[in-house]
Amino acid sequence: MTTHTFETKNIQSGYDNKTILNDVNLSIPSNQISIIIGANGCGKSTLLKTMARLIKPTGGDVLLDGKSIHKMAPKQLAKVLGLLPQSPIVPEGITVADLVGRGRFPHQSVMKGWSKKDYEAVAEALEMMNITEFADRNIDELSGGQRQRVWIAMALAQQTDILFLDEPTTYLDITYQVEILDLLTDLNKKYGTTIVMVLHDINLSARYADYLFTVKNGQLIAEGAPTEIITADLIKETFQLDCQVINDPVSNTPLIVPIGRHHA
Amino acid sequence: MGNIIEKGHKQRLLPKHLAKVVALLLILLIVSILMSLAFGSRTIGLEGLIDGLFHPSVEGHEASVVRQRIARTIFGLICGAALGVSGALMQSVTRNPIADPSILGVNTGASLFVVCGIAFLSIQSPSGYIWLAIIGAMLTAVFVFGIGSMGASGATPLKLILAGAATTAILSSLVTAILIPRTNVMDQFRFWQVGSVGAANWDSVHIFIPFFIVGLLIAIIVAPGLNALALGDEVATGLGVRTGVIRMLAAFAGVLLCGAATALAGPIGFIGLLATHLVRLVVGPDVRFLIPLAALAGAIILLISDVCGRFLGSPGELEVGILTAFIGAPILILITMKAKMRTI
Repeated sequence: MTTHTFETKNIQSGYDNKTILNDVNLSIPSNQISIIIGANGCGKSTLLKTMARLIKPTGGDVLLDGKSIHKMAPKQLAKVLGLLPQSPIVPEGITVADLVGRGRFPHQSVMKGWSKKDYEAVAEALEMMNITEFADRNIDELSGGQRQRVWIAMALAQQTDILFLDEPTTYLDITYQVEILDLLTDLNKKYGTTIVMVLHDINLSARYADYLFTVKNGQLIAEGAPTEIITADLIKETFQLDCQVINDPVSNTPLIVPIGRHHA
Repeated sequence: MGNIIEKGHKQRLLPKHLAKVVALLLILLIVSILMSLAFGSRTIGLEGLIDGLFHPSVEGHEASVVRQRIARTIFGLICGAALGVSGALMQSVTRNPIADPSILGVNTGASLFVVCGIAFLSIQSPSGYIWLAIIGAMLTAVFVFGIGSMGASGATPLKLILAGAATTAILSSLVTAILIPRTNVMDQFRFWQVGSVGAANWDSVHIFIPFFIVGLLIAIIVAPGLNALALGDEVATGLGVRTGVIRMLAAFAGVLLCGAATALAGPIGFIGLLATHLVRLVVGPDVRFLIPLAALAGAIILLISDVCGRFLGSPGELEVGILTAFIGAPILILITMKAKMRTI
């Protein structure tokens, strides 16, 4: 199990001339599952994208093991840092094996083609996501949940120590959401992969995260283990939502129960 | 585990029917080469073919006709291959199924520069206009993509077609405006403009080869990066691809190949589109296989179109550019309809 330090130092970031993140300092706990939560438009996705080098910060820096990720060779960085964005493109007519295999890009070069290690990594990723039987199938033929498993397998084939995922459960029904989060937990347990993701569902976040980051208006307002930081006050501040926090009987983690105007 | 690895191995190395497809394309290529050598205003029998190709001591008329057709055939082969690879590259760079040098107006841009070269700089030789054609092709490519990418939805197939068509209209009217008052230029240009391999000789082959090799090498080098780019810019960045560099190199190689082909043979349309689509239909979207196979398919399509032109235009010849347009245009319509259905 490889440990890394991953930190942001006073990052400022945004799109075009609009600054969304302002002076964010954080440190991602190694070999754990971190989840970023926050209301729509709060900047959580921008934070993830800036950490995953999709957006270059206008100020501050993102450091992996003390070195700026923007000063590292992209392919070397891609061996440590993987990323699954929210809406990747599926090329028409691509098979599952082909797509998962493309995750091996940073480990290959023009001179040396596919090595035994590459094939093993792909086979292992397919196996872990339970999609070996679909390997020859066209992605177009698969269900939403199966497709998301294929994408995660692609990120797995990359064999990185750190994996960023931008809302990996969006558009999936509850069964598949739980399935995907279970699979990511397997990954974390088996290889010690540091996982950082943005999620919408607070209760699932509280259940699956070792560590939570709460973002509001482009700033970090709370961080820590879910049991330590989730309170009705924090949810009110983050989401402008009145709620009660009770104990999740299944996982013994905080469970929020929204109140609303018609039920008190 | 061993079993799965073995299975994964095969899946990666053999996209569907790779071996069969390669064999079929190679056979077709040999057949089309032989047809190109044998058929024309004078049809040569098997014996004449063998004499012309393998027995340099045999002098007869038939053998010498075959030898005269060798340069034209080799040129057609390289030209078709270059256009096939160019189409595959342009489609990958733009993630757009209709990208092809002729549809995007790149050929017309090359034409305009060649005409200017003939009219204003008195350039006479193909080695002179090859650079002009390449520069014209590059500027037009940048222009059309610039216009086609304006607006919120980016470079959609329909916008690119429109931008390409509008650009083609403007550039061809400029070409006409320059040509009409200059009858001497018109004569030199007229033949070039239709797209023909009939005038090709060993010189054309020698000028073309370095451009072809450079373009093809770049294409092979960027293929894995293009595979990653096909999954979207964000995924590609995550995989460590320098997206800007890969896209620029691939576009450069694509325009280089089609610019060189256009300079030497005139604008021959639709080969890149046809070759890439046919190949992708059979072996899937992996660019590493798409590029060499589109080269083979492009060469076959061009050679066969050229041979057909010799029959259809008899006693003269119908230029290959006219034939590829006849075959290509209906296919473009089919593809556009399919692409539109997908977005709806």
